[in-house]
Amino acid sequence: MNAFGNLSGVKRDFLHIGIFGLVYLVLALVVSNSYYQLIMTIVPIWAVMGLSWNLLSGYSGLISFGHAAFFGLGAYLVALCSVVWDLNPWITIVLATLAGAGAGLLVGIPTFRLRGHYFALAMLAYPLALLYVFEWLGYQEVALPMHREAPLTYMQFENPVYYIVIALVLLMLALGITSVLSHSRFGMSLLAIKLDEDAAEAAGINSLYWKLAAITISGAIAGAAGGFYAVVLLVVTPLAVFGMLVSAQALIFAMFGGVGTLWGPVLGAFILVPLSEILYARYAADFPGIQGVIYGVAIIAVILFAPEGVLWKLRAMRKPGTFRMLGSTASKADFGVSEELLVVPPVHDGKPVLEVTGLAKAFGGLQATSDLSFSVREGELLGIIGPNGAGKTTLFNLLNGFLRPDSGDIVFHGQSLQRQRPNRRCAAGMARTFQVPKPFTHLSVLDNVVIGAYVHTRSKVEASRHASAAIHLVGLHDHLDLPAANLTNKELRLMELARALASKPTLILVDEILAGLDPQAMQDMLVVLRRVRRLGITIIIIEHSMQAMVQLVDRFIVLDHGALLAEGSPDSIVRNPAVIEAYLGRQWRQEEAGDE
Amino acid sequence: MDALQTLENVLQSLVAGLLIGSMYGLMCVGLTIIFGVMRVINFAQGEFMMLGMYFTYFCFAWLGAEVYFDGLWFPFVLAVLAGPAVFLLGLILHKALINAVTGRRASRLEAQGHYAQLVLTLGIALVLQNGGLFLFGSNPVSVSNELSYSAWEWGPMVGDRVSVFVNQAQTISAIIALVVVLCFGLIMVKTRLGKSLRAAADNPDAATYMGIDVDRAHRIAFGFGIGITAIGGGLLASNVSFQPYIGTEYVIIMYAGVVLGGLGSIRGAFLGGLSIGILQQVSAIVLPNQLQGTVIFVCFLAVILFRPQGFFGRRDRTA
Amino acid sequence: MSDALLQLESLSAGYGGVDVLQDVSLTLDRGAFVAVVGPNGAGKSTLFKTISGLVMASAGNMTWQGQNLGNVQAPKRAHLGIAHVPEGRQVFPTLSVLENLEMGAFVNRDRAAFPEFLEKIFTWFPVLKERQRQPAGTLSGGEQQMLAIGRGLAADPAMLMLDEPSMGLAPAIADEIFTRLVDIHRSSGLAILLVEQRVAEALHFADYAYVLEAGRIILSGKPAELQHNDRIRQAYLGM
Repeated sequence: MNAFGNLSGVKRDFLHIGIFGLVYLVLALVVSNSYYQLIMTIVPIWAVMGLSWNLLSGYSGLISFGHAAFFGLGAYLVALCSVVWDLNPWITIVLATLAGAGAGLLVGIPTFRLRGHYFALAMLAYPLALLYVFEWLGYQEVALPMHREAPLTYMQFENPVYYIVIALVLLMLALGITSVLSHSRFGMSLLAIKLDEDAAEAAGINSLYWKLAAITISGAIAGAAGGFYAVVLLVVTPLAVFGMLVSAQALIFAMFGGVGTLWGPVLGAFILVPLSEILYARYAADFPGIQGVIYGVAIIAVILFAPEGVLWKLRAMRKPGTFRMLGSTASKADFGVSEELLVVPPVHDGKPVLEVTGLAKAFGGLQATSDLSFSVREGELLGIIGPNGAGKTTLFNLLNGFLRPDSGDIVFHGQSLQRQRPNRRCAAGMARTFQVPKPFTHLSVLDNVVIGAYVHTRSKVEASRHASAAIHLVGLHDHLDLPAANLTNKELRLMELARALASKPTLILVDEILAGLDPQAMQDMLVVLRRVRRLGITIIIIEHSMQAMVQLVDRFIVLDHGALLAEGSPDSIVRNPAVIEAYLGRQWRQEEAGDE
Repeated sequence: MDALQTLENVLQSLVAGLLIGSMYGLMCVGLTIIFGVMRVINFAQGEFMMLGMYFTYFCFAWLGAEVYFDGLWFPFVLAVLAGPAVFLLGLILHKALINAVTGRRASRLEAQGHYAQLVLTLGIALVLQNGGLFLFGSNPVSVSNELSYSAWEWGPMVGDRVSVFVNQAQTISAIIALVVVLCFGLIMVKTRLGKSLRAAADNPDAATYMGIDVDRAHRIAFGFGIGITAIGGGLLASNVSFQPYIGTEYVIIMYAGVVLGGLGSIRGAFLGGLSIGILQQVSAIVLPNQLQGTVIFVCFLAVILFRPQGFFGRRDRTA
Repeated sequence: MSDALLQLESLSAGYGGVDVLQDVSLTLDRGAFVAVVGPNGAGKSTLFKTISGLVMASAGNMTWQGQNLGNVQAPKRAHLGIAHVPEGRQVFPTLSVLENLEMGAFVNRDRAAFPEFLEKIFTWFPVLKERQRQPAGTLSGGEQQMLAIGRGLAADPAMLMLDEPSMGLAPAIADEIFTRLVDIHRSSGLAILLVEQRVAEALHFADYAYVLEAGRIILSGKPAELQHNDRIRQAYLGM
């Protein structure tokens, strides 16, 4: 057992990449038909495109329909540089990579502000726009000048094998990069964003940063692929490099082979490209457009029968019933119970940890929160209760940063939170659980919690240590490797609590963690909450039913219709007639009064 | 170029923009229906427009201009008939393919099947485009409509200068487009079917409680959406020359119009399409052909970045 | 022929493999007024969604008028006479009040009878008549609740299921709604299945009540028996 479980994952991948490279090289040396040699050059290029797409969209879930933009820019850069300045491809392909990266960043900054459909539409539009621009600029057809005199310098080889080798090297590079990234924080953060962006944000993941990183790297790889493509084909036209088919291909290979896997895009390219090329060669004269039809049918078939891709389908068929797990399946290294990692040393300066003043939020005509003010002392366990629709979760969303208040202020550790995003608040020490648990379903329990630790740790080991401590605290240490999807309601809630703890918070917002639990489970949960409290962490807990809370909290705040109804000790609250009325209804109070 | 000439150019462009824009508007309405009811972005919308064009073209070629009606009207009748034909195709396509990734079944897919829908329609687009290439050939064709060559002259307005020529075929097409949109609007507002579609769009769960079959509502909405766009295509067929890949060129136009008008709003979509038409024709005065597409794209991008809810729609629909 | 309209036997249901409801048994007779009370997260909404078909049952039986309900697809259940007034009203916001009511009557074969129904609904809830042309989204919470109930009634159902009708409403308005509901029940003999947070109101009006906690029925009986039951107080107030 080693603590560097994930490094062995990378090593294993590199071994596979090496073997693959060797086999492919041998094949390249054996094949002599020039047409097949061309295919052996083209296929890796498309595999690289697939990997590029996968790096952004496969891992993050943001489906890009516009990777042709990066590909085409790379291709045109190489072509134009060689025509205008006679630069050789070794330089220009590197430039193409940089251009792709730059384009990725430039595209990402405005476009990531868009969600869902709008993002997809915008991405679709970029390459189309570039297509028009390049046509207008007069670059209908740019041919790279021939340089027979210096084949190595200009990458214009007599022997096609050299092209295959370069293509292979590019592919192996792309595979290597993907492997390293996917096993690192990068991969896990993107996965978390894909599985549940809100939960990721609340756990401290800066989603914008990771998305930009992903698109930059993705663009770079696509640019390199495009640049080399230009060298191989020796002529670049707008439709061939910016056209919808290019973006579609990048997408199809990854989706067909297996989204979010290392070898999926390679599998997809290696099956579909030769298939379409050979069919095209044989039937294009009779069936123009056959390539597009094949790709179209492939996409449709994949979506209908194996939406996650062939690799996942195979895995599911081999082990039926097992859940599709992603992420770096946790090393079984158990770091033991190191609770002291999570302890919050008390400050004792008398200042409140959290101070809320005049908070208000309305949705349309409904005032969800109205003029709410309260403060929370260090180490306190505050309960917020109120009937359904009272605005409790809205309050948490305001505190946490998912909603912006219409007016009022939130001051945390003396700093006004202003418009800070949830991940910043998490970094500042505010963690949260959700009313309906938001697990990263395809990840193991350990991975779920490790993600929570990213916000304040640098290394994998440190993150795992904190995660382990949190998991032990909540009592889930037997479930480390289980996929989150297989957990019971109670276990899910415990896991979410652990994820929150792993971020080393000073304040945890706990939202209806007892909902749906039977009385025994409720008691178990209370034991865990007391443990958390003993670490010195301040807790604000929302609950609907007072039954269990009465035993737990120091102080209650009662909300009704978004406003503060009552505040005080459990004893006083439970006897407060206004509170009873809000919960059980006026008639109960009248009947009680009538009885006495 | 003197002022009067410029004035004439501008007026001519405005008129052309209004007429062509009406056809764009019709197609945008089709697109927005699909999004409004199903929350699906149909990447294949341009291909259904293309089908409408070819339907009109082939029926016109095979049945002959003189046989039915007065030859002049025939292309327009065919364009309108393309609607029901493609509507039926849509019902089949939805039941066979799209249903698998929308509605109830979608919730077990990732991201509630949103991406599966997008990708599926992309696949359909590829098949239609390239299938079309095989079936129809790559030579650009057009419906030869005599009225495309005749125009009314409006003017001269200033002395004996400044005349605007109003193309007859385009005018009739624009009127038909407007009528179709109005009819459809009436269906959505007045009929039980239309109301059930709107209810399904507003709140699918509540609609199910009312006994409305939401899957069926989606199917019908999809059929309507592509049928209406097909009519738009059929009308355009008399005015432009086309080949099977033409869908891609118009996809941005349609999306720009829909987004400008606010996703899901029928009135907005029509006005959005109209605006894009005007923008396209007016920009042709100053910009070369190829850049017109870029202008529309810039407009589209600007809207989704800065005002994603659009300009013309009622505040009712939230995209 | 038994009097039972709706019969649930050992019903279990939930989301994504996790059962929220476990082994729930419940009977609703023709013309009866039955309440289901319980704390949040107990599964009350899940219960209604299962009856309406939006959630699949994982175990147990559901029969409606003797027929097995499990085989009937969700949109068809409304045609059987089951009306559902959902939690949070869930009106169709862009449709007018009148159009909402028309959608409620969607399942009615007899379109000609609709105007009559409409008049009845307007008598019970006059404010709906006033606002009939307004988009439903612009109505206040209480008005939307009345609309949602009217919409349920428009189907001329055998059973009306109401999910927390008082939620988010001021007590006075909630009282008004309850009073109307009782009037409707008494005058038309409509069976009502009510899920409520406000225990006292629910017990006051119902013929029979069930207490749901953590997905299970822990108590059931006539309101008089349950009225001052300590277990209920515990569930809500921890006393």
